[in-house]
Amino acid sequence: MSALDVTFVTADRTVWSGQAAQVVVPAVDGSMGILPQMQPTLAILGTGTVRIIDQDGHVDQLAVDGGFVSVDSDVVTIGVDDATSIEAQDSRF
Amino acid sequence: MGAQQRVFKQKIRSAQGMKKIFKAKEMVAASRIAKAHARVLATTPYAEALTRAIGSVATHSEEINHPFLDSERSRTGRAGILMITADRGMTGPYSHNVIRAAEQLANTLRDEGKEPVMYVVGRKGESYYRFRNRPPHRAWTPYKENELPDLGREIAGVLTGDLLSDDQSVHLDELYVVGTQFKTRFVQDTKSIRMVPMGIAAPGTIESRPAFPLYEFAPDADTVVAELMPRYVQSRIINILLQAMASEHASTQRAMKSATDNAETQIRKFTRLANSARQAEITQEITEIVGGADALSGSGRTER
Repeated sequence: MSALDVTFVTADRTVWSGQAAQVVVPAVDGSMGILPQMQPTLAILGTGTVRIIDQDGHVDQLAVDGGFVSVDSDVVTIGVDDATSIEAQDSRF
Repeated sequence: MGAQQRVFKQKIRSAQGMKKIFKAKEMVAASRIAKAHARVLATTPYAEALTRAIGSVATHSEEINHPFLDSERSRTGRAGILMITADRGMTGPYSHNVIRAAEQLANTLRDEGKEPVMYVVGRKGESYYRFRNRPPHRAWTPYKENELPDLGREIAGVLTGDLLSDDQSVHLDELYVVGTQFKTRFVQDTKSIRMVPMGIAAPGTIESRPAFPLYEFAPDADTVVAELMPRYVQSRIINILLQAMASEHASTQRAMKSATDNAETQIRKFTRLANSARQAEITQEITEIVGGADALSGSGRTER
């Protein structure tokens, strides 16, 4: 199974980068899930939680407020002003 | 010890004290350059992601409309100049170079019939204008080095607000940024950049232009551009602020290096003078003793 190449950056640092199986982002018009082989997308983020699920099922959660996400041939770039890490809770996946 | 010697000894001591201070400042600056440069590099991924995103929007839809892209912005004739100087002194020519470049730009704009509006970061630039009785429109000072990204966000917010404002007394037609570009720790350039209106190269004009994928936009292209543009300005301003900070440290290091060298020259010079003063004193003493002995032997007395 192919994986997503995720880079999560804020204005002044790289928060998260690596391989992931699934990414869920809070787009302005509703939560958006990103899986491998998705069509190229450029979306604006609202307020909410970005969930990055890696191949072992481990979930990283980060609270964001505004930003953008671009998806292009399994390369996911998330750019936000600031992100605060939320302690990983029991995964629902 | 003679009076002359004492004076020289005192001068040597004071030069030695100064040398220690300069040396310490030099080393502090040297260690901060690397940190500041790392901060600059840390903003690069975000800036690249944004640039790619904006580039792809521009190629995707031919007729995107955003006030920042409109090359015919002439409503009030007001042109904002954001000038980034140092808070501290002892930075060599760093602040003066920026002030000079900003003044040149302001004169050029005045010649074109525009009205320059100053936005100043740093105490040096602010006091320059305040001293000349034309206080800047807005000044941010003092600032803290580790809060530069927040400062950048605040500045970008104010500038974006003024650029998009409908109020004739606030509205800016154009925005220029004068700062110092950090190339290496030995080379920094003072640069004036036009931020708004932005020029996005028309598709197909540059051969090496990367092929941007056809994106799906959520919610739609115009909203995406409206959201990305202020972010782009913000990220550029933060990047420029961080580069300026790194340049300030590099400039401080160089200035303090030459100050240390000068203190060493002073110490050497005064040591020479003190030595020759001591020699002169000794010579004089010998002359006096010999003269005294000659006078005694000339008097014909045999026993002392």
